[in-house]
Amino acid sequence: MLLRPRAGDLKVIGLYTGRIILGVGLLMAVPLATALVAAEWGPAIDFVIGMCACLAFGLLAEIGCRTSREPTWTHGLVVAGFSWLAATAIGAIPHWLSGHYGSYLDAMFDLMSGYTTTGLILIQDLDHVSHALNMWRHLLTYAGGQGIIVIALTFLVGGASGAYPLYVGEGKDERLLPNVIRTARAIWLVSLVYLAVGTPILWLIAVANGQSAARGFLHALWIFMAAWSTGGFAPQSYNTYYYHSLPFELATVIIFVAGSLNFALHWAVWTGRRGEIRRNIETLSFTVTIAIAMLVTTAGLMKLGVYPDFLASLRKMFYQVASGHTTTGFATIYSRSFVRQWGPLAMLGITLAMAVGGSACSTAGGFKGIRMGLVFKGLVLGVRRALSPERAHVVVKWHHLRTRVLDESTVFSAMLVVICYVAIYALGTLVGVLCGYPLTEALFDAVSAGSNSGLSCGVTSPAMPALLKAVYLLSMWAGRLEFMSVFALGGYLISIVRGR
Amino acid sequence: MRSITILVCMLAAAFSCSAQTAETPSPGSTALVEDAKDWDGRTVSFTGEAIGEAMRRGNMAWIHLNDDAYGLAQGAEAGLFGFNSGIGVWVDARLASRIALFGDYTRHGDVVEVTGIFHAACPLHGGDMDIHADSLRIMRGGYEVAWPIDRSRLIAAGVMVALTAFLFLVRAILRRRGKKDP
Repeated sequence: MLLRPRAGDLKVIGLYTGRIILGVGLLMAVPLATALVAAEWGPAIDFVIGMCACLAFGLLAEIGCRTSREPTWTHGLVVAGFSWLAATAIGAIPHWLSGHYGSYLDAMFDLMSGYTTTGLILIQDLDHVSHALNMWRHLLTYAGGQGIIVIALTFLVGGASGAYPLYVGEGKDERLLPNVIRTARAIWLVSLVYLAVGTPILWLIAVANGQSAARGFLHALWIFMAAWSTGGFAPQSYNTYYYHSLPFELATVIIFVAGSLNFALHWAVWTGRRGEIRRNIETLSFTVTIAIAMLVTTAGLMKLGVYPDFLASLRKMFYQVASGHTTTGFATIYSRSFVRQWGPLAMLGITLAMAVGGSACSTAGGFKGIRMGLVFKGLVLGVRRALSPERAHVVVKWHHLRTRVLDESTVFSAMLVVICYVAIYALGTLVGVLCGYPLTEALFDAVSAGSNSGLSCGVTSPAMPALLKAVYLLSMWAGRLEFMSVFALGGYLISIVRGR
Repeated sequence: MRSITILVCMLAAAFSCSAQTAETPSPGSTALVEDAKDWDGRTVSFTGEAIGEAMRRGNMAWIHLNDDAYGLAQGAEAGLFGFNSGIGVWVDARLASRIALFGDYTRHGDVVEVTGIFHAACPLHGGDMDIHADSLRIMRGGYEVAWPIDRSRLIAAGVMVALTAFLFLVRAILRRRGKKDP
């Protein structure tokens, strides 16, 4: 029997959702300051409106939903699911007011793409966008990489007891430290330290590449934010092809690969356990799957003889595959070049890489390395049991921070999430084909949206049907939250209507 | 006699231009990307708005020319016409320095015509799709873009600030009351 939620439950959800939107509003102070410094008065007004809308929503929620109750697991999951949608709807105001979007849905699409670190875009005339809007686009992808709930936990949510369900609801379940609020702060510490180191390195390369100091700094900061968060946004429509620079490509690869690793792995290495990199199931899984994706893509490129020499082929293949596998979405080729130059086999290699994705509890999307590792080890367990005598006790171990014995329930949980990802990839592909796109292209962009990758072969554009935009938007949301919060929100809505 | 000479010169110039146009095809960026193999290694003429900046590398420089509606239509900043499209051009830094304005939020860049060899996958630049230009001509000067402040938005912003301040006040009062009445 479904139980209808009581007013007290809705108050808890409203209160915490309000606090998260309040956090989004406070973040808008950064692009607002950018607009003021750059004397971009129009965008400054847009950000005042957007910021006040978020703050007003958050304050109204706090006033209307005053309660001293701590969120339960269900509340946490529902808040996570709902707050990402609300933050997208309200946070899109400055995007929409910028005049660079064909509809409010397009503005919301880009906002969801930013929060979820996807990187697919519908923004038009990106090459004439204000510094303030570019700052907001990249900041929201940087913040989204850590998680908008992590932001709220860091600054706004007092008391640790109710915080853990919110944290888990956002698709993270690693505790770096015993206290979840200290864990959220540790995640920010890791990200900010890398920002402080990575931005000057990119800045030096940008200046050496011929950019002015001021533009070079802004590009370095934005590209760092997009790389670390595996977001894939860039300040120019050419994406990272704009820089025509091997050192810049290498630096971004290092940053986005680091961003795609589990925060717990970063923490383990920071705290002196360097051997963890070699033993961790996710790094092992990442190494194997990226090697397979590279082989398939190289075979496709060599078959068609796309590049004049092996080194050029290797450079292009490596960048695109690494970008796809870490679900970053940076590209040094044109979107349509995937279709017109690379061909179906190389596209399949990239699609596979995007589908698998990076590590759990990182800024990356996709199935995640840990699940691929667990499913593979589950397969090994099954085969070994089948080949062993009936009374033999077969043990398979796996290592993630500590060594554990593999059991069926762990494999089952991993498999369930992988199936959910396959389902959203299939749904996006189906709707793409129904909208008239060829299967390979529909599959490529659908996997990109569902795995929060951001590479596109040209399907994603302002001209694509609104239905497909909506499906991709929901795929990005469900994929980023790893489904549980989405199911919980769906169940909650049903129980409001049909519960007793 | 003088007017005849001028007329002959103008006709000769017109013929030379049309001859150059007839010899050098001018595919758009969409055609270059979609049919890269067909255009690979051919000399092309390409016209577009210079955007971003010239990135100098020794004696050469990278520039980017957008041949989309924003780049080519004057006053196009008023409308939306889809994604930007253009191509990277590798050109002598002295030629690139002729470009006075590059397009960004506050400027519409110079519209530039380049002529050079198109590479579907450039062997010199790690497989990048580009044009190696040996001539560059400014077709139309760029200009500053004025963004007047929208009065209605300014009023809306004022109302939103007042509303937010009021809500902060209400919350502060309620919190104070909450502390007094445990």
